[in-house]
Amino acid sequence: MAEHTIKAFDEEIDRLRGLIAEMGGRAEAAIENAMLALQRQDKVLAAQVVEGDKRIDAIEAEVEKLIIQVIALRAPMANDLRDVIAALKIVSVVERIGDYAKNIAKRVPMIAANTRTLEPISLLPSMGQVAGEMVHDALNAFAARDADLALAVVERDTVVDDFYNSVFRTLVTFMVENPKTISECAHLLFIAKNIERIGDHATNVAEMVYFAATGQTLPDRERGGSNAAMED
Amino acid sequence: MTEEQKLLSPADPKMTARDVKVFYGVKEAIKGVSIDVDMDNVTAFIGPSGCGKSTFLRTLNRMNDTVASARVEGTITLDGEDIYAPSMDVVQLRARVGMVFQKPNPFPKSIYENIAYGPRIHGLASAKADLDVIVEKSLRRAGLWDEVKDRLNDSGTALSGGQQQRLCIGRAIAVEPEVILMDEPCSALDPIATAKIEELIHELRGRYGIVIVTHNMQQAARVSQRTAFFHLGELVEYGVTSDIFTNPRQERTKDYITGRYG
Amino acid sequence: MTGPAILLLLAGLGAIAWVSARARAMRLADVARATGRRDAVHSLPGYHGWYVALWTLIPAAIFLAVWANVAPGLVTQQVLHDPAAQSLPADAFARSAILGEARAIAAGDQAAAFNPASNALVDPYSDAITKYGVIGAVLALILAFAGGAYAFTRIRADFRARTRVERLVMATLLVASLLAIVTTLGIVGSLLWESFRFFSMVSPIDFLFGLKWSPQSAAMGYGNDDAFGAVPLFWGTIFIGAIIAMIVAIPLGLMSAVYLTQYASPTVRKWMKPLLEVLAGVPTVVYGYFAALTIAPALRDLAVSIGIHSASSESALAAGLVMGVMIIPFVSSMADDSIAAVPQSMRDGSLAMGATTSETIRKVMIPAALPGVVGGVLLAVSRAIGETMIVVMAAGLAANLTLNPFASVTTVTTQIVQLLTGDQEFDSAKTLAAFALGLVLFIVTLLLNIVALRVVKKYREAYE
Ligand SMILES: Nc1ncnc2c1ncn2[C@@H]1O[C@H](COP(=O)(O)OP(=O)(O)OP(=O)(O)O)[C@@H](O)[C@H]1O
Ligand SMILES: [Mg+2]
Repeated sequence: MAEHTIKAFDEEIDRLRGLIAEMGGRAEAAIENAMLALQRQDKVLAAQVVEGDKRIDAIEAEVEKLIIQVIALRAPMANDLRDVIAALKIVSVVERIGDYAKNIAKRVPMIAANTRTLEPISLLPSMGQVAGEMVHDALNAFAARDADLALAVVERDTVVDDFYNSVFRTLVTFMVENPKTISECAHLLFIAKNIERIGDHATNVAEMVYFAATGQTLPDRERGGSNAAMED
Repeated sequence: MTEEQKLLSPADPKMTARDVKVFYGVKEAIKGVSIDVDMDNVTAFIGPSGCGKSTFLRTLNRMNDTVASARVEGTITLDGEDIYAPSMDVVQLRARVGMVFQKPNPFPKSIYENIAYGPRIHGLASAKADLDVIVEKSLRRAGLWDEVKDRLNDSGTALSGGQQQRLCIGRAIAVEPEVILMDEPCSALDPIATAKIEELIHELRGRYGIVIVTHNMQQAARVSQRTAFFHLGELVEYGVTSDIFTNPRQERTKDYITGRYG
Repeated sequence: MTGPAILLLLAGLGAIAWVSARARAMRLADVARATGRRDAVHSLPGYHGWYVALWTLIPAAIFLAVWANVAPGLVTQQVLHDPAAQSLPADAFARSAILGEARAIAAGDQAAAFNPASNALVDPYSDAITKYGVIGAVLALILAFAGGAYAFTRIRADFRARTRVERLVMATLLVASLLAIVTTLGIVGSLLWESFRFFSMVSPIDFLFGLKWSPQSAAMGYGNDDAFGAVPLFWGTIFIGAIIAMIVAIPLGLMSAVYLTQYASPTVRKWMKPLLEVLAGVPTVVYGYFAALTIAPALRDLAVSIGIHSASSESALAAGLVMGVMIIPFVSSMADDSIAAVPQSMRDGSLAMGATTSETIRKVMIPAALPGVVGGVLLAVSRAIGETMIVVMAAGLAANLTLNPFASVTTVTTQIVQLLTGDQEFDSAKTLAAFALGLVLFIVTLLLNIVALRVVKKYREAYE
């Protein structure tokens, strides 16, 4: 895309993109590390994830400030306007994603040592991986203004939802069979729910990316369409 | 018919331009432009300097007749009548299609006389009392009455720039035109005066067909319902204002309004 | 040593001074640059060159100018002390004739003497001339050297040669502009002085308000009372210059300006405007005889044919008409300027209201241009009343106080010419009256010009 006549505008946009990319990278890493910590029962890593969320919050604040400045000083129009508005919404969504990752990490110590006996836990890493990839792809799509990639992310939401449903069923069955593990399983259930929400949020990001890139909202989208979205 | 089509080709257009071309000598300044003007919506022309906005605007009330080298092709109609037909009286046309210029150009006469000028030459008022009524009404519509009612006999040139411009709008309104053409009416004004003019345009909308040329994107976005983007004499994109400014279809339009032009 | 030779020598010295001073300043600049202190060199070398050259030339030149005036006196002094001068006649006139002749021969302007007495003085003269010539030349050269040397020693890196040279340039320019002003002041001064002398003979009241003008009778010894009433002249001037001429010039000038600015196509304008301006280039004497030989008789015939038998062949009308024609380009170009200065936007504004071109001109352009047009007319009037040639040739000499355009009237300028042509004593009331008339004319045109320029200026400001 051609450059703006006012170079400073380009610099600000670049900075904005850089910050969002960093934020996305951190959120992605937080998901990955939280899942890793869960798998390995690594409390230190979990603590790092919790700590790392502060930086994500800080970036969100910085991005918001920058966007207010850009709107006030540059009066962006057309695709610039859409980019900026999408960015504003994306950062608050990514911040939520970071919060979910943090929440997962916080639950790691509570699941105690006996992971070996918790069979359903083995389902979660691959679910987390899919959600993490969705986040990754959604932000890549933003960076590349790639509407197709954004669409692909939106479509993948059902995969996470399906995962969630199967984890849900498995956990419930497991709890019935092993009532002693109910408290750990409840945590696992929440973790699964968190991952599912991450997937929904990644979908939201993808939708915003699609809008920014094309100027159109996605046609009849199935909003967070899981049959498990009963609570929250 | 979609909303968009309804806006862009209204069922009852006041003025229509079809495939209008303007030449200055051999140079083609406008290359086949078609648009409609109706009474309910404001049309904005935007585009880089020298792209032909003023030229096209001036074809709409035949002000280009004053330029010896200018030649107009295509059809422009007012209420279905070809304004370039030999039977069309230019004086009458200009009374129906008024114009406000970039630089406020009040006549070096009193405020009262500035407004009364048009009604006088068109014989709209027979008695002084009628004229008084017209002057007051026009000044009120132009949002200037309260500021000048006590000094109608002061010179129009003694007003501030923004007041002068509103005086010029009042002067144009005084002859009860059907369409008002404005060529960058706020380019010499401060933000407050600009806001007053924009507010005025909002109020005049519906009563007059309004076409405004502006270099200020925000202004075009604020006051108009339709926007036409000109570039090098071509009408590159003509669309609903909110679309043009959020989601232009043409690359050139996008580059221009996002500040990537040139 | 002859004058040109000295001047040439001085010029040479000046050139040498320039070159050497410049070279020295360049060296200084090099040194300063080498030490890296470029701010230490104040002026460019060229300025140092000029500074020294001017110091070489100006004192010497001033001295030479003074010397050229002093030397002849000294020469004569020396010759008179020569023994050969003892035989000169005592009569001052004969004496100076002989001395003059001797000097001319000595200087080589004259080949041989008419008066033999001169021959004896030729040698002393040439001796003296040579002597003082040499003294002058030597002194001048010494001065040139001294000046140059003084200036040369002042050359230093931080010496502000530029400032001084610039100051001298400015002073020269100032003198040039003062010269014009001083000349004007001199003229006014002499006018005032001569008028003062006149008014000591004739009361200003009689002059300004008297109704009878007959300076000839005063000259013939009938006394100054009642002979110098200038009102008929003032009236004649106004009648011809400000009334008849303007009746012709204002409408025609204005209309041609309107046509040229508003209606004429560029091609027509390109041809018409210069043609019109040719009118202004016609020498007024040509207008004069055109008025006197063609228009005046024709008008007289016309007047007689319509029954005015008193019509003069030197009528006010003839002079006024021709003067009006002469003034047309003046009015037209002033009006043209002021109409053209009305912003195009004003015209567009009116046309866009649906006004026709003529409505636009009548109701917007001319009112807007009016101050400029008025200013132009005032200037034209001041020109017309100062105009001389046409009225001298066509207006006649009879100082009539009449409203009849076919009658002969006379004007201030005509009378000034009359009073001063031929051999005149410069201390009679009759001659001095010319200065008083000139003063009045001067004051009136001055006032007109001031007012006109003010009006025009104010109007210009209104559109800037
Ligand atoms: N009187 C004229 N004679 C010849 N060419 C002209 C004349 N007026 C305008 N043009 C040319 O026509 C083109 C369009 O000019 P126009 O004044 O319509 O531009 P514009 O879009 O109004 O520009 P701006 O935003 O600077 O007012 C320009 O290239 C200009 O040079
Ligand atoms: Mg323009």
